[in-house]
Amino acid sequence: MNLAIVLVIAAVLALATILSVAVSRSLQAKANAILAPTVCPIDVEAFRNLINPAEDDYLRCRLPPGQFRVVRRERLRAMAAYVHVAASNAAVLVRVGEAALAAGDPRIAEAAHELVNDALLLRRNATVALARIYLALAWPNSGFAAVRVVDRYERLSGTAMLLGRLQNPAASVRLSAPR
Amino acid sequence: MLQPHSFLWHYLWLAPHVLQVVLAVFLWRRGLHRLFPVFFAYTLFEAVEEFTLYGMDVHPSVSGESWWFAFCVGLVLEGAFKLGVIGELFLHLLGPRTALAKVGSRLISGAGAFLMLLAVLSAAYVRMDHPKYIWSYRAHILLQSFYMIECGLVLFLFLFVAYFKLGWNNRTFGIALGLGILSCEHLGAWAVTASGILVDKQYLLDFLNMATYHLCVLIWFYYLLLPQKSVTTSAVPLPEHNLALWNQELERLLHQ
Repeated sequence: MNLAIVLVIAAVLALATILSVAVSRSLQAKANAILAPTVCPIDVEAFRNLINPAEDDYLRCRLPPGQFRVVRRERLRAMAAYVHVAASNAAVLVRVGEAALAAGDPRIAEAAHELVNDALLLRRNATVALARIYLALAWPNSGFAAVRVVDRYERLSGTAMLLGRLQNPAASVRLSAPR
Repeated sequence: MLQPHSFLWHYLWLAPHVLQVVLAVFLWRRGLHRLFPVFFAYTLFEAVEEFTLYGMDVHPSVSGESWWFAFCVGLVLEGAFKLGVIGELFLHLLGPRTALAKVGSRLISGAGAFLMLLAVLSAAYVRMDHPKYIWSYRAHILLQSFYMIECGLVLFLFLFVAYFKLGWNNRTFGIALGLGILSCEHLGAWAVTASGILVDKQYLLDFLNMATYHLCVLIWFYYLLLPQKSVTTSAVPLPEHNLALWNQELERLLHQ
């Protein structure tokens, strides 16, 4: 009896999730046809500075342990905010790349394919990085590196730019914030 | 009207499978059987299985035990086909996205193993009604277990696609949606049946199951036979502004 109730509730929740994903898919398809995708520029240099282990070591030497933990947590929160934006940008670029995949021009299709793969890798890495950041928030003294996210983001920027050039040589694309 | 062996009951049992035969013919004629070979095989198998079970049900010489035994055998094969269809959908989604192929395969394997463990534990927890109805009891446990795994995997598929913002074409989406609705409803219905809560009103759940199956076949019809929309790249402009500045900044970063 109890098991049946649990399974019925699980089935209802699963059905609601599937239907909501299906509805959001059709809404998203309509929105994509109307709205131009927007990416939020990221100051990669500031992010690189945040994740620099040498900076952490310097702070660890200079600050008392309690204060270091407070500062480290603040830095980790800032890091998480950056990674969130990078992941959102990657999601936008997945959609843009997938829309361009059907292009008749093989050069555009190839660039779009590369962009989609890079964006998916970034999104995957961002997920792992976020998990590590939240783990590090619980243990601020532990080591942490999100360098792969930065590297991937830079590569993604290059691919998006190439696709942008191929699709529309007059238009411009920006993923990183100007200095 | 909502009684076993009423006209509606016969219609709901047979009509979806007649439609499946028609669907299989359309799939063959449009060459879609090459694109979705497992789904095509599943569609045909399901139709043949249900016609056989229907024939056995209305034939007076077939005993209840024989019917349930045939049902269980069909169920195992059907379960294998459905898992194959989910695998096929996953391949369609991950095939061109090499970046996610490895992690996707690992995740779905892990999810499958976890769901199987959960299904075995749930099966062990269900009480047995009566030794006389051992075959129907076994069938209900099998159904509950299969739909737990199937429902979990389809849910995983939808969440995976939603998380990575993957786009799927209408056909893949239609098959997944039909399978998702089917497995969720069937999981709930068979869990109730296996628990023995609605022993006297079991036929109501049968009606629900059959009606849901009918709906899902219509969903497959709609999405598989609907003409595919052509995607225009110009409709989705890339985000823009300051390419020169951005390029300068990027090159500076890359050469650091």
